Amino acid sequence: MIFAKELNAALHECLETDERVVLIGEDIVDPYGGAFKVTRGLSTDFPERVRTTPISEGAIAGVSAGLALAGMRPIAEVMFGDFITLCYDQIVNHITKYEAMYNGKATCPVIFRVPSGGHRGYGPTHSQSLEKHFLGVPHLRVLAASLYHDPRAVLRDLLGQTTPALFVEHKLLYPQNFGRPGGLLATDDGTTVCLSAVPREDCTATVLAYGYQAMLAAQVVEQLAIEEEIFVELLVPLELSPLDYGPIERSVAVTKSLVTVEEGTAGWSWGTEIAAVLSARMFGRLRRPVGVVASVPTVIPSSKSKESRMLVGTPQIDVAIREAAK
Amino acid sequence: MKHVLIPTPDVNSEHGVVTAWFVENGQWVEAGTDLVEVETSKAVLEVSAPDSGYILQLGALKDEVSLTAPIALLFDDIDSLKAHQASLLAAPKPESPVRASVKAIKRAEELGVDLSSFDGSRLITVKDVEAAAFVEPDYKDMPSPLTAPEGVQRILIIGAGRGATQVIDIFADRPEQTAVAIVDEQRGKWGELIDDVPVVGGPDRLTELYEHGRFDAVVVAISTSVAARRKFRLMCEQAGIPLANAIDRTAKIATNVEMGEGNVICAFCHIGTATQIGNNNFFSAYNSFDHHNVVANDSSTGPGCMTSSRVKLGDQVRLGTGIHIEPGVELGDRVQVASGATIVRSVPADHVVKTKIVTTVVVPGR
Repeated sequence: MIFAKELNAALHECLETDERVVLIGEDIVDPYGGAFKVTRGLSTDFPERVRTTPISEGAIAGVSAGLALAGMRPIAEVMFGDFITLCYDQIVNHITKYEAMYNGKATCPVIFRVPSGGHRGYGPTHSQSLEKHFLGVPHLRVLAASLYHDPRAVLRDLLGQTTPALFVEHKLLYPQNFGRPGGLLATDDGTTVCLSAVPREDCTATVLAYGYQAMLAAQVVEQLAIEEEIFVELLVPLELSPLDYGPIERSVAVTKSLVTVEEGTAGWSWGTEIAAVLSARMFGRLRRPVGVVASVPTVIPSSKSKESRMLVGTPQIDVAIREAAK
Repeated sequence: MKHVLIPTPDVNSEHGVVTAWFVENGQWVEAGTDLVEVETSKAVLEVSAPDSGYILQLGALKDEVSLTAPIALLFDDIDSLKAHQASLLAAPKPESPVRASVKAIKRAEELGVDLSSFDGSRLITVKDVEAAAFVEPDYKDMPSPLTAPEGVQRILIIGAGRGATQVIDIFADRPEQTAVAIVDEQRGKWGELIDDVPVVGGPDRLTELYEHGRFDAVVVAISTSVAARRKFRLMCEQAGIPLANAIDRTAKIATNVEMGEGNVICAFCHIGTATQIGNNNFFSAYNSFDHHNVVANDSSTGPGCMTSSRVKLGDQVRLGTGIHIEPGVELGDRVQVASGATIVRSVPADHVVKTKIVTTVVVPGR
């Protein structure tokens, strides 16, 4: 089944099993069913708890915070993740602070669903991957949807606890078939999915990627294995921040080389933080410096050909993996 | 047969959902008839018949369909529609029973290994193919290493190629060293004699022969692969087997030269004063490393390479024939230099120096 439908089914399950769950966002009700059709049919089945909002991300964040403080479990859709910046103050200064400020007497478990990412020619303000600005915010979980993590399990986990969360969904994942690539061996290390053509012992680098970039990386990993016998292990974490370094350390202890991949812009990023931490923890065991793949730090062009030179895609991943596997 | 395509200028969607069919499957439709309604993320699109014909629907109501593939086919007669429908149902799904890398397929051919016998649950690699083809070597019928008089260093040579004959030739002039055996990975060479020295098996015999006191030290006689030189040096290091230098009697080793072990230095080489040579390098004839050079490990040179003073070579450097290197130049690890190059500045690790070969023009004499 395609990923958008998996996600739709997961949201349906949340509404069905937990009466506190409320979905809010712009244009999410039927017949339109959301810009990416993820919420299609949900307002028909749960008209009271699936509500459309004015075009104001600030209002979405504020209403969500109020609902959450009052004991509801709001799941807010920010139609284009670029506009999560309009929620930034409420997330950083309010939503993530209540539980600690009130010593657990108040909780504010808002879940933001954030459709993100480019490669569609949507231009500067509808294509970005802004999650790096939220990494490391205390008491905020940042998770990334992937084709290898069941969204039902993700949402069940989030509803079972009270830390607010950003669930980043790359738009290009929606029409993809959900499931692990048939050509690679898959194992789970906690919520990190480990994929490789051959067992870890025969891999010469670890590749760390999430979301849509993980799907692209999986294709590169399989192709390099078949065509050139360059064997690397791809790790796909679900949670970007806080990050569980255990799976990465276990893989890199064997492969001695690490490269990270993200679609966000280069510098002060997920990958650079991981490079710093891993270099400190595994100094002397790494065969080469940690590689970090990220997009060119500039504005995303509307021209698709220009965009493809600026955003990380298969060619950039291919070059970086070959280098890391040396 | 004609394709019915969904007319869409919508860049937002790759898929749409069929929301209504206005005609029955298999029915005759006239050109221009409204056929189907498809909803994309931005709009509901109506598709009309581009031509008349019998219609075969390619998506059912509520199906998600690609916006770039045909939504229906039109046939001139009902029989060809039925034939096409049958062929769609009967179309076999080709499924390869095993998946192997390109290199593994090639290696399997070389070794005569049948890939279909493998477990198809993961990618088959060269390693798997070689493991399947591997037969424990039987050294019972292999020749034994030669013996030598007391006081003569008995050398085991790794590599039964032309490099071995070069090393054996060096020992012809050096009564204090002699080659007693050769090992090589290629089984085809086992049992052969190279200049009267027997090839006694593969490199896996090193430890056994050394422990039985059949030789004193190893010389790696491979000049064509610096990676192989390194591999065998490390293999000996791990097994605690010493390497020996093989230095031609005509070579000039100047004063204050520091040299490690395992170096092959062919005829008429010059190692200038205060030069440091590491381990396991192979210098072909007429090389001159002038004074105060530093050469690391596992490098290999062709004949006629000349360096000036204070030149540094990293590990696994590969020089072709007739190369000149200016003073103070440093070549990083794994640098490769093509024949005839004159190198005037340093080259970073993992780089290749290419040359444009200028040949003289040859014309018939008058």
